[in-house]
Amino acid sequence: MFQLSQIPFLMVTLPLAGALVLLLTARFGIEHVRRTALMNVLLTFAVAVVMVVRYDPDRVDDNNQPQLIQMAMVMPWVGSPGAGPDIRFALGIDGISLWLIALSALLMIPAVLVSWEAVQDRPAAFYALMLVLEAGLIGVFAAQDIILFYVFFEFTLIPLFFMVGIWGGQDRRWAARKFFIYTLAGSVLTFLGLIAVVLSYSWMSGNSELTFSIPALTQGISQQLAVNPEAQAYWAKASPWIFLALFAGFAIKVPLFPFHTWLPLAHVEAPTAGSVLLAGVLLKIGSYGFLRFALPLVPEACFRFFDFVSILAVIGIIYGALLALAQDDIKKLVAYSSVSHMGFCLLGLFALNSVGITGGLLQMINHGLSTGALFAIVGMLYERYHTRDIQAYHRMAKKYPVMAFILLIVVFSSIGLPGLNGFTGEILALMGMFKSNWLYAVLSLSGIILGAWYMLWLVQRTFFGRLREPGHEGHGHAASGLAAHDAGDYSSESALTDLNVRELCALVPVVVLIAWIGIYPQYFIRRMEPSISQVMRQVDAGFQRYEQFRAVSQNEREGKIFARAENPAD
Amino acid sequence: MIEWLARLIPLFPLVACLTTLVLGPKVLREKSHWPAIVGCGLSSLCSLILLVFVASPQLLPQDERTIPLYTWIQIPDPINTTGPALLDITLALRVDSLSATMLAMLTFVATLVVIYASGYMHGEGGYWRFFTEVSLFVFSMIMLVLAANFLQLFIFWEAVGLCSYLLIGFWYEKPEAAAAGKKAFLVNRIGDFGFVTGIFLIWDSFKTVNFAEVLDVQKIQEVAAGNSAMIPLICLCLFAGAMGKSAQFPLHVWLPDAMEGPTPVSALIHAATMVTAGVYMVARCTPLFMAAPSAQILVAFVGGFTALLAALIALTQTDLKRVLAYSTVSQLGYMFLGLGTGLLTGVGGAMLHLVTHAFFKALLFLGAGSVMHAMGGVIDMREFGGLRKKLPQTYITFLAGSLALAGCPLLSGFWSKDTILSAVHEASHESHSATAVVPAGHATGVDEHAATDAEIDDRAKAPARFLALPYPSVYKLLFWMGSFTAFLTAFYTFRAFFMTFHGPEKIPHAAGHHAHESPAVMCLPLMILAVGAVFLGGILGHMTGLFDTFLDKTIPGIHSAAAHHGYDWFVIGVSTAVFLAGLGLAYVMYAVPSALPEKLAAAFGPLTNLSRNKFYLDEVFQGLFVWPLRGLAELSRLADWLAIDTWLVGGVSRIPALVGQLPRPIQNGLVQFYALAMTLAMAVLLWALIWKQG
Repeated sequence: MFQLSQIPFLMVTLPLAGALVLLLTARFGIEHVRRTALMNVLLTFAVAVVMVVRYDPDRVDDNNQPQLIQMAMVMPWVGSPGAGPDIRFALGIDGISLWLIALSALLMIPAVLVSWEAVQDRPAAFYALMLVLEAGLIGVFAAQDIILFYVFFEFTLIPLFFMVGIWGGQDRRWAARKFFIYTLAGSVLTFLGLIAVVLSYSWMSGNSELTFSIPALTQGISQQLAVNPEAQAYWAKASPWIFLALFAGFAIKVPLFPFHTWLPLAHVEAPTAGSVLLAGVLLKIGSYGFLRFALPLVPEACFRFFDFVSILAVIGIIYGALLALAQDDIKKLVAYSSVSHMGFCLLGLFALNSVGITGGLLQMINHGLSTGALFAIVGMLYERYHTRDIQAYHRMAKKYPVMAFILLIVVFSSIGLPGLNGFTGEILALMGMFKSNWLYAVLSLSGIILGAWYMLWLVQRTFFGRLREPGHEGHGHAASGLAAHDAGDYSSESALTDLNVRELCALVPVVVLIAWIGIYPQYFIRRMEPSISQVMRQVDAGFQRYEQFRAVSQNEREGKIFARAENPAD
Repeated sequence: MIEWLARLIPLFPLVACLTTLVLGPKVLREKSHWPAIVGCGLSSLCSLILLVFVASPQLLPQDERTIPLYTWIQIPDPINTTGPALLDITLALRVDSLSATMLAMLTFVATLVVIYASGYMHGEGGYWRFFTEVSLFVFSMIMLVLAANFLQLFIFWEAVGLCSYLLIGFWYEKPEAAAAGKKAFLVNRIGDFGFVTGIFLIWDSFKTVNFAEVLDVQKIQEVAAGNSAMIPLICLCLFAGAMGKSAQFPLHVWLPDAMEGPTPVSALIHAATMVTAGVYMVARCTPLFMAAPSAQILVAFVGGFTALLAALIALTQTDLKRVLAYSTVSQLGYMFLGLGTGLLTGVGGAMLHLVTHAFFKALLFLGAGSVMHAMGGVIDMREFGGLRKKLPQTYITFLAGSLALAGCPLLSGFWSKDTILSAVHEASHESHSATAVVPAGHATGVDEHAATDAEIDDRAKAPARFLALPYPSVYKLLFWMGSFTAFLTAFYTFRAFFMTFHGPEKIPHAAGHHAHESPAVMCLPLMILAVGAVFLGGILGHMTGLFDTFLDKTIPGIHSAAAHHGYDWFVIGVSTAVFLAGLGLAYVMYAVPSALPEKLAAAFGPLTNLSRNKFYLDEVFQGLFVWPLRGLAELSRLADWLAIDTWLVGGVSRIPALVGQLPRPIQNGLVQFYALAMTLAMAVLLWALIWKQG
């Protein structure tokens, strides 16, 4: 009998099982492999749809308390309850992870479909890695235990490392290595921070049991801090360090300026499916980490580092947009636009009020959809012409009207046109930040202007104007083919055609969601809102502690000055 | 009844848009105009019925009605869960006299333009695409007009901007068209920067963005009492948005380039409707602006200055559509001048001018399109001339439009422009402002803070309160600027008219030998618009005086002195004189061949140059913003590669290797060395143990 609590477990194991099947049946040929992969991905997505439909944001438990984590499944894993470490295999869905899991499952569909023709070399291994990656991504968002979270967190690196390193572009090995080591280096510090949280809680509560459960820790620590002055004094000293440790891993993952340089390289070298998943979902792990751990666990440190993180986010928004403006490589342009857009996510989260956090979370989904679709479209162009040089493309709209139509929707979503999803996320994030600090919000608004500039310029250069197709494969230099087209010789137009059914199927689900979130965002916000409110209550408590702590240290400082004034001889 | 009408009005164009989008390319093809025509027509019918409902007080007891559609975003307060939501945005339709008037004008002009376009665009590639985008535009514009809160206004504000972008770039194969579309979008985004900031400020200080609560005299007083700079700041931010959309200096640079789009688009979007959205927004926010005289004077000044500047540029343009585009910028400037007077007659005049301008400017653009149609796409006035015989219907209707634009007495443009200039004139006399009813409180500022609710109530209800306008002399200057602009308007309008239709007949090669009058489907809209251009202003402005009091039904708490005050004969005299002077000068210079234009151009050498080159504003923009930002972008690219990736990241990544280097000499493979090290280490350990024991 099918049970709701099996859903997260099913969503993690289904792709893993698929990967196993693929590896075992690789000898049946590419057709079999990619069909199996597609079936698997669609099945997982169907489960995700059930998950979204059955998630009830207003559910209450027997004690009439809101029950936000639903479809939970807990199994003992390492250690046992009572004493010592108690690590569990705990999965569950709440309003924060719900949409990110759905996003991961959704983006797998375009990821498989864009690889359909592009990956001919060892397809079984490629699709198997992709499914393993899916399992890892869903696991990260569904994990309710710190160790399990961290396992999945690192687990996502491995398949992507191989996908970039084996099926990537020219510089794939260097890109894969840099991506792997850079993100790993940060996440080791994050792990330290998480362990510190676990040990601190054990000390605070005076329990010999070491709990790793995320909800138990977030609830428990804020309860302890509310009643236990000793714990408060300790946390006031420890929380900044814990925050910085968490920050190290998550900021690199996001990536926040100046930790972003691995991203363009990895994107440029990754195969299209890799780029779609990297930009679409992988980056969200970083911002998700901030929302899941930093905000509820160490809110006072978030207030303390509010300016630090916000300024980095604002710099990232403007700097990323400027960098995108200067690129000649389509993939790099989109990669830098990601740096800019992820800045809005963090700006929203660190507004530290519900409007901003809602905006930040929504922006994660939006960025996943629009940038995922952008990379997919770029991949489709690349598949036709094998160049990423913006200069080589011209007036593609005439030849590919359907592609142009979808590209325009995605581009307008990315530059935050109202009515599409990008606007709702950005406006909420900025409104939230405006309440916290108007200057940062107004500065980031200029990023929106720049965003429209580089995106529309890209469209103008590649899709409008006179038709100029890049030379085909085999023409070593794209430029050699251009002269003929410039002279008005249209007879040599290639026989390449507009989007086929497979490519349309890859993009249409994403476009539908782009419009849906833009037109009726409340459907999505309604389901995330109770969970965000819960985080907000902890953030608010943290704010009280932060103010209190600041007042105390202010008094101390004044006391010292006072003391010094009394004894001028000192 | 009203609820249903209001819902149906945007529904028809939306259905038309979706129908052409789905069926256009394969099924409808050359019949793609039908959904748009039917949709706009039905919508126009409903709008006129709605206007009748709104205009008659018996049928609409309330001053305004808000019809909610659905909750767009709602974020409750997490701490105080029972309190009001932090953010609650419901998409709703707001029906009042302001929106009903705009709707009637908008849908009526749109219907005519769509009918015209079915002839004009005939045989163009992407025929269905054109009507899909136009229907989308009409839908968005209707929703903009019906918006019930600032965020909804902004959503559709951007949506009409998108349609404008798409339609300017309709012929995207022309590089100029693609560039013009992008420019329009980006320049508008600069204005939107201000608009969004304004919305944030409103949300922050009013805790809501609904018109019903923000545009409330009492609420505004409360906010002003808390922070006296807040209301002017909000007004400035909102006005920045209006400057972008309504093409006011210095953000007007996109509008002339937008003429790259098909002519019906220029007529509908870039003359009659979308560009007036800024005027509409400022008129909608009258209570806010009334409470911020310093912002008002800026609005008036920017409007007056833009009117003059654009008229000066229009003097020397040779592209017929560009003359009309600059004329649009100039007329929009008039509207802002009226809005900035701080008098309700000024606001009413601006709205009246908005409506009449929509008719005569759409007429002129469609007439120019008809000329272009006959001339094989040529629009440079030097290439053709003396067309009155070839295009008789276009000639007559264009004449009607020109007279209306130039401000010929008794025609539409005369009445509306005159109302604005009268208001400016009135504003320049302090003692004269009999109709200036201002929300009490702002003038005296902080001491209102202590007033009790009852007192505020009394003041808000007080029939009239005289406002001491701060800068009468500025308004005096603006009045003369406006009058001089009226002279220039009459001159450049008839310069274009005479160059096109009078003088010896001249037909460009592109037209071939069959230059002919446009088909009936194009001429009929011209004639209907011509009737409007001639009579509408008189009916609305002079005979019924509808616009004098229509704001009463829009803004609660503001009641103008309803009496239709007499005419300002001084202003009428000045207007008539400048009209005749401009017309006469244009006749002398352009109706018959003469050497006068060259002589005059030479006499005003530098000024002519400035005017021809549009005061070099495009170049200034390039030099001030585009190139520095591009340079900064390149610099960032370099910095990212060198400073961050190579030095910072590369440097850190070398640390492990360097640390590894340090102990490397120890691993030298010499057994003797290892033995020595072992012995020494043993010795140290032993010594440490002994020392610890001792």
